[in-house]
Amino acid sequence: MAMAALRRESRRFVPFVSSPNPINAFRSTIAPTEEQVGLGVRSISTQVVRNRMKSVKNIQKITKAMKMVAASKLRAIQVRAENSRGLWQPFTALLGDTPSVNVKKNVIVTISSDKGLCGGINSTSVKISRALHKLNSGPDTECKYVILGEKGKAQLIRDSKKDIELIMTELQKNFLNYTQVSVVADDILKNVEFDALRIVFNKFASVVSFLPTTATVLSPEIVERESEAGGKIGDLDSYEIEGGETKSEVLQNLAEFQFSCVMFNAVLENACSEQGARMSAMDSSSRNAGDMLDRLTLTYNRTRQASITTELIEIISGASALEG
Amino acid sequence: MILNLFVLTPSRIVWDSEVKEIILSITSGQIGALPNHAPIVIAVDIGILRMHLNDQWLTMALMDSFARIGKNEIIILVNDAEKNSDIDPQEAHQSLEIAEAALRKVEGKRKTIKANLAFPQSRTRVETINVI
Repeated sequence: MAMAALRRESRRFVPFVSSPNPINAFRSTIAPTEEQVGLGVRSISTQVVRNRMKSVKNIQKITKAMKMVAASKLRAIQVRAENSRGLWQPFTALLGDTPSVNVKKNVIVTISSDKGLCGGINSTSVKISRALHKLNSGPDTECKYVILGEKGKAQLIRDSKKDIELIMTELQKNFLNYTQVSVVADDILKNVEFDALRIVFNKFASVVSFLPTTATVLSPEIVERESEAGGKIGDLDSYEIEGGETKSEVLQNLAEFQFSCVMFNAVLENACSEQGARMSAMDSSSRNAGDMLDRLTLTYNRTRQASITTELIEIISGASALEG
Repeated sequence: MILNLFVLTPSRIVWDSEVKEIILSITSGQIGALPNHAPIVIAVDIGILRMHLNDQWLTMALMDSFARIGKNEIIILVNDAEKNSDIDPQEAHQSLEIAEAALRKVEGKRKTIKANLAFPQSRTRVETINVI
C-alpha cells in the first residue's frame, strides 16, 4: 500500500525532480519510465527492472569470461617473462644500472598496452614518464619520448606531441619473441639519438602487485666516460675486452645487445602486468555486477509483490462494493 | 677449482652447470678458459662452444653471443644455442646444403646478408655433430 502511494507521489513529482532527490537510485530510473509508458499499466515496471537485470547479468558473464581469458594468457606469458629475467641480469652486474647518470640526450621509452580494461597500469607508466621528463629537461639537456602501445600514445600525444620521436603499436598481435623485439630495438637505435635510454614499464612482482620500474641503458660513449670516472661501471675497466676489431666496437655491440635484452624483458613483464591487472579489474567488475544484481532482484521482488497487492486490493474493494 | 658455466638465451636457460674448461671461438681464433681466468668480456662469433666436464667433451652450437668470464663464473648470452645432442644430423646437413646453394646464387644486398648469416650458422651445426 505504501509502495503504491509512493509511486503515485513520485509520478506527480517527476517533472520537477531529476536525480538528487529520490530515496533509491533505482526507483528514480523506474519512475520516469512509468510516466512515459502510461499511468495505468503497472506491470510494466517489473519489465523495466527485468531488462536491467538481464543486461547486468550479461555484463557479469562477459567480465567473468574476460577474467578467465586473462588468467590463461597470464599463465602462458609468465613463464617466458621469468625465463627472460636471467638475460639482463649479467648486463646489470657488468655495466650497472645508473638512473642518476647525468647526460645531455635522454630518451624515455614508455611501454604500455594496446587494449584497455586493464586497471591503472598505463596511467602509472605515463605518470612516471612525465615525471622523468620533467626531471631530465633543463637548459642544456633534452628529453624525448618513444612510445610503444596505443594507450600510452593516447595519453602522451595530448600534451607532449612535439617531444615524441617514435610510436609503435600492436606489438602483441604476433606472438612476442626476441627477434621481433630486437627489430624494434634496432629501429629505435637507428632513428633516435641518445646518450641514455630510460625504459619505463610495469614489473610483474605478483598477480596482484605491479611495480612501475625504470631500466637505464647507456650509450657506449657514456659507458666509457663513466668507467673512467670510477664507481660501479669502473669495474668494467678491470675486464679485458676481446673479440672484434677495437674495444669501442665490442662495447657498442654490447650496449646494443643489452638494450634489446632489457627491452625484451620489459615488454614481457609489461604484458604480464597487463594481463594480471585485467584479471583483477574484471574480477572486481563481475563482483560489482553481482552486487548490483542482488539489489535489482530485491527491487524486482518488491515491485512484483506491490503490484500483486494492488490488484488484490482492487479486486477485494470492488467485490465488497458490489456486495454492500 | 671449478668453473660455473651459464648459457642463456632470451627464451630459456640452455646450460647451467660446473665445468673444468671451456673453449670458445671468436673472430680472431679460439680462446680457452680454465679456472681462475682473468676477467674478460668477449664478443663470440658464430661457432662451437666446447666444454670439458667429467672427463668428457661436450659441444654446443652458438649463434651471435657475448661471454663474460669473471671470478670463476662464465656467463654466455646468446641469441640461440643448441646442444649437439639436440641437433638432427640429417636436417643439419640438409640446411647446410640449402645455405650453400643460396650463398652461391644469391643477388641483392639484403639477401646476400641473409645468406651470409645463414651459412655459418648451418655450418656450425654440422660441425657440432661431427666433432664428437
